[in-house]
Amino acid sequence: MNVISFKKPTNIFLGLFSFLLAMSLSSTTLQAQEDGEKLFKSYCASCHSPGANQLVGPGLAGVYDKYEREWLYKWIKNSSALIATGDAQAISVYEQYNKVIMPAQPVTNVQIDAILDYLKVYAEAAPVVAVVVPPTVVVEDEGMSGYAIAGIVVLFLILIILLRKVQYIFTAAKAREAGEDMPEETTMTQALGLTISQNKTIFALMGIVCLALFAKGGWDSAFGVGVYQGYEPEQPIKFSHELHAGTNGIDCNYCHNSASYSKSAGIPSPNLCMNCHTYIQEGPQYGKEEIGKIYAALDFDPVTKTYGPNQKPIKWVKVHNLPDHVYFNHSQHVAIGKIACEKCHGPVETYTVGKQYAELTMGWCINCHRETKVQMADNGYYDEIHNRLPEELKKQYLEDGTITVSELGGIECAKCHY
Amino acid sequence: MSNNKKYWKGVEELNDSTAFQKVKSQEFNEYLPAEDFLGDEGLLENSNTSRRDFLKYLGFGVTAASLAACEAPVNKVIPHVIKGDKTNPGVANYFATNYSDGFDYCDIVVKTREGRPIKIEGNKKSPLTVGAINARVNSSVLSLYDEKRYRAPQIGGEPTTWPKFNSTVKKQLAEVLAKGGKVRILTNTITSPSTKKLVGEFVAANPSSDIKHVSYDAVSASGMLEANNETFGVAALPTYNLSKAKSIVSIGADFMNSFPSSLELTSQYAKGRKPENGWMSKHFQFEASLSLSGSNADVRMPMKPSEYGKTVVAIYNYLNDNKTGAAPKVKMAVEHLMANKGESIVLCGSNDKNIQNIVIAINEMLGNYGKTINIDKPSFQRQGVDADVAGLVKELKGGSVDVLIIDGANPVYNMPSEMDFKGAMSKAKTSIVFASRPNETSVEAKMVGAAAHYLESWNDANAVAGHYSITQPSISSLFDTKQFQDCLISWMGMDGNYYNYIKATWSAVAFPMQSKTLSFEDFWNKTLEAGYFSAKTSETVSATFTDKASSAITAIAKIKSSDLEIEFYSKVGIGNGNQSHNPWLQELPDPISKITWDNYIAMNPAEARENGFATEYGEQKDADTINITINGVTFENIPVVAQPGQAPGTLSVALGYGQTIGKSNEVIGFNAYSAMKGMQNYSTDVSMEAAGDKYQIATTQTHQTVMGRTSVVRETTLDVFQTGVKDDFNPAHMLATHEGPININDVDLWAAHPVATAGHHWGMSIDLNSCIGCGSCVTSCNSENNVPVVGKDEIRRAREMHWMRIDRYFSSSPESVEDRNFGEMESPEDNPQVVHQPMMCQHCNHAPCETVCPVAATTHSNEGLNQMTYNRCIGTRYCANNCPYKVRRFNWFNYMGYDKFADLNPAQDDLGRMVLNPDVTVRARGVMEKCSLCVQRIQTGKLDAKKESRPVMDGDIETACSSACPTNAITFGDYNDKSSKVLAASQGNRAYRVIEEVGTQSNVYYQTKVRNVEPNIA
Repeated sequence: MNVISFKKPTNIFLGLFSFLLAMSLSSTTLQAQEDGEKLFKSYCASCHSPGANQLVGPGLAGVYDKYEREWLYKWIKNSSALIATGDAQAISVYEQYNKVIMPAQPVTNVQIDAILDYLKVYAEAAPVVAVVVPPTVVVEDEGMSGYAIAGIVVLFLILIILLRKVQYIFTAAKAREAGEDMPEETTMTQALGLTISQNKTIFALMGIVCLALFAKGGWDSAFGVGVYQGYEPEQPIKFSHELHAGTNGIDCNYCHNSASYSKSAGIPSPNLCMNCHTYIQEGPQYGKEEIGKIYAALDFDPVTKTYGPNQKPIKWVKVHNLPDHVYFNHSQHVAIGKIACEKCHGPVETYTVGKQYAELTMGWCINCHRETKVQMADNGYYDEIHNRLPEELKKQYLEDGTITVSELGGIECAKCHY
Repeated sequence: MSNNKKYWKGVEELNDSTAFQKVKSQEFNEYLPAEDFLGDEGLLENSNTSRRDFLKYLGFGVTAASLAACEAPVNKVIPHVIKGDKTNPGVANYFATNYSDGFDYCDIVVKTREGRPIKIEGNKKSPLTVGAINARVNSSVLSLYDEKRYRAPQIGGEPTTWPKFNSTVKKQLAEVLAKGGKVRILTNTITSPSTKKLVGEFVAANPSSDIKHVSYDAVSASGMLEANNETFGVAALPTYNLSKAKSIVSIGADFMNSFPSSLELTSQYAKGRKPENGWMSKHFQFEASLSLSGSNADVRMPMKPSEYGKTVVAIYNYLNDNKTGAAPKVKMAVEHLMANKGESIVLCGSNDKNIQNIVIAINEMLGNYGKTINIDKPSFQRQGVDADVAGLVKELKGGSVDVLIIDGANPVYNMPSEMDFKGAMSKAKTSIVFASRPNETSVEAKMVGAAAHYLESWNDANAVAGHYSITQPSISSLFDTKQFQDCLISWMGMDGNYYNYIKATWSAVAFPMQSKTLSFEDFWNKTLEAGYFSAKTSETVSATFTDKASSAITAIAKIKSSDLEIEFYSKVGIGNGNQSHNPWLQELPDPISKITWDNYIAMNPAEARENGFATEYGEQKDADTINITINGVTFENIPVVAQPGQAPGTLSVALGYGQTIGKSNEVIGFNAYSAMKGMQNYSTDVSMEAAGDKYQIATTQTHQTVMGRTSVVRETTLDVFQTGVKDDFNPAHMLATHEGPININDVDLWAAHPVATAGHHWGMSIDLNSCIGCGSCVTSCNSENNVPVVGKDEIRRAREMHWMRIDRYFSSSPESVEDRNFGEMESPEDNPQVVHQPMMCQHCNHAPCETVCPVAATTHSNEGLNQMTYNRCIGTRYCANNCPYKVRRFNWFNYMGYDKFADLNPAQDDLGRMVLNPDVTVRARGVMEKCSLCVQRIQTGKLDAKKESRPVMDGDIETACSSACPTNAITFGDYNDKSSKVLAASQGNRAYRVIEEVGTQSNVYYQTKVRNVEPNIA
């Protein structure tokens, strides 16, 4: 990045030195792994896990040692051709995994090597678990609920009435003993009035406290109007993110791929599900029932593997409902801001039912815009914006070495409301 | 130049009447009874609503609102079953296609979101229309979502299915063709080579039958076609190159609006109007009613329509050294033409072939053919020959036609009533009409084919020789509709569909014309993507000139004038009436009269006063009505409007009105077509009498006036501009101080805005010299920004919602009293000069609106935009009251829900809502709104740049108005981009800011208008 000016010349040398060091040491292997991961995700991840668990095909942990490299090249590039040649190993693999043909992959030997290198690194490294920031929302002690307060008030009233009654009985008994006239029994209201008039200060204080509590309750609940944090509606298909994203480790972008280029992250269309579910016809929890709903939508016959004409869309229930006057664009946040999905959607790999993790309030958005650093590196757009900054603003903004979204105008009204 | 001109928006302002003064002093001029109510104690005390009641309602309201808000919404999200490769929710797709309805031809790009077309823009890559578009074309997307469209074919008025419809037609056709019967196909002008070939094959397949195809144009150019046929042997229209013409003389031709190829001519015209080029075309206009072209002319002379012929002959004679009897302005025009031989153009809007013959002779004498006019490369945009149409009507009346098929035409409505097409049509044994919505002709037909909208259709077009384009659908059919061509293929018993047929035609015709691409599929896909194909081998027709002038002059001499004449013209919004059911177009104020939702009789203001008719209109002031008889057809209770610039002794009336609109079938205006005679666009047989009634006219003329501020419009003349001394024509505003005069920009109450150098600084430049006032930007803005339609009644209350308006100023100066043709004192209204000025939020850096908002709902962005946050606005309207430019609009109603607008507002039904732009909020009642400088487009442009890791390039981002402008008068860009056009424009000699003296530091610059006139005529 050539845009941030270093404060001391020593820093430049230090930076240059460490950069050269890093370059000479392991830049090539790093590059290969990165490419291998990319290639794995684009070619293999829809059917294979990089670990040991089976998805459509077997887990790929250890394949690089298990088979000859040359044999792997042939198998990956065209497995059916290899089987057709009568290769014993090929046939045994084919039969071992339910006779499902692995489609031919348009990859080169170099790419296959990169993928295998990646798998090796994957196996050696401790399994990477997405770092999930626990929700920073402090759950406040709700205190006494309204019912409890009402109950206490009722008990208090009953107590007053009972005490009055007791007092009356004592007075009456006293009067009878003294042979005086029976005093008149006071009514409940009179009794209450008498109590209040005798304890004005306490009741006034209690009244004020009640009013204050009531007002606070109203104020707090008004903030909750329209906030559906934790909204977890029942869906037409009991789809489990826990199984797909958690256990099977499928990348978010595999199904929600438009998040990187579109306003909306998108709900996958059933034909995308069929990439795997053509073969996986039974789930671990609901068996054929839930997967059968995808087949019903596509009018797919799992036995003959043919599609019929009576297709009908699946009506999912929308979980994240932004108000109509808010413009939100996934691609801005995912592709440009490089914000991880978990930041707003939480530990999705633990959800059995899709739910709203974040508050999705304006305060929540703005806080993030105030704190988040703009990803200016290697983006020609920001280079130009940076060049246009006058010196004094550069100083002001870059004091902490970063420019936040809000410093670039990210909390102005017309960034989201138009 | 010290400008001592007076600018006025209408007769009201010119006379400065008391009612007008009252209106102009208030931003919201409706009467609010608050003062009466609160000032009257008796009324207050006797009021039924007590304070306690008020508190009760308030409490109930608050509770009800909070209870309602507690309910969680359950929204469904429904993905595709099988998602297409390029249909991504949230991502717009663009399809190149074209609009060809026989009146307008335009290469366009359709923007679709989630599969729905939502916006139409010009195809900037097209060599023919170069991105030019008009209001009619960019509003046509709304017609797709018309509630009243046919949803299935009909037989005998009953809905049926297509197989049944087609088999019925096929059976009847077979019977007729077997006995060698007569089949007539009547269509609008068809530019499609495939359709023509298909009809040709239908004719050829039945040699024993009498089948004929007749083209029909409601607004006919038959005179030009016949004249070209007689003189050159080419029955087509020439193509023009106005950008090379230094002298343009138009006699009654509104070439910016209704003349054939108007879009091409408009964009060419603008190229010759750039004073920075060192030259500028000079435009003379001779006409009866003030047309759009006339309003932009340098020299304009009002005359009767019957005098067009005589004027043309006078020019011809003058060129032949017979200089007697030419009026001074005619003389001036001819001398300018003669000084620019080969670089001039004479156009005439007359539908008389004799007049057109002389026009051809004039252009031939001036050596314009082959230079500015090209008959070798003809245009096919009007093909209707009046004699053929008359012949068809005669045949029909004779009862000899067995089958009449009509597609794309509505002759029962737009043929003159003297022709009685309705009666003639009923005599055809079978009549089949293709229409997309019920119209006057389709309801008379025995069978109705529910026609597909052009955005749902495959077609092709050959508007001009060598320019081929493909019409592709951008949405699959919304209803059970089909194209006429598909049905004809099925009736002929051919295999396949029209799409395959077009491909076959292109494979045989267009593909061999090029050598770049070897495979037809590649060629087809490339053409489909580009939208057009320019044939390399220029198709030229050989044309040799034969002089027909002498016989024409004799014929023209017989044309008689009368004391009162009427001209039929086409309005900018409604055109020939094809889309008169389109509420966006109805609400577009006419560029000249600023009247919406009506047609009317326009009259010279002096004559209106003589007749005792009202000349001023407003909420409380109505127009008078007359009973008028034209060619024996009487219209009763027609409003009459005083129109400055209307030639004395003439009236004018717009065509295309009198059709129904909305769910309740309200009729808008009256059908002037019915009074035409012989397809001539004027009549000398007119009589009128006052009807004594009043009519409420909805005009925006007096709305948003400028409070007499004089620095709104700046204009100069070419020679003053060419001296290059800016102070002469565009002086800076100076503020008188004790230290002497100081430039207004050096004095400021506020600190400088930080946007000056950092980040982006969006702004705009509007060239008043290029702006012709066509209103394309207004409708484009409506469609981009979900601007609600409010209807006639609300417009009368000055509650129109248009974010962008075009202010039309008439101007007059003491000098212009020269050239008195009529021997009497000329009043300023007789022939005023016109300035069109687009006006929208100026995005002031020191915005007066921002400082008065009590809730900070309108704020300034660090990119120089004045932001309006609807969900924060509480509707105090202080901002609108404080805006010197009067560009803020208040939402008085819930336009998409309130019953009052059920008939007008397209967003009231599910179908109409499909046209809304999903990136722009639909504003609620009670909030202010205004131009956002298309912030959604800015955001998209920035995001695209970020994704591609590059800076935002100049020209990447265009606002809806700048992209729709056919003359490129509007430039949008970033002042902080040193290479941007908008920065260069803002630093130019002609740049000024409107009402700069109040110190608003607006981000919109205007370019001074330059007229190519001698100072003494200014």
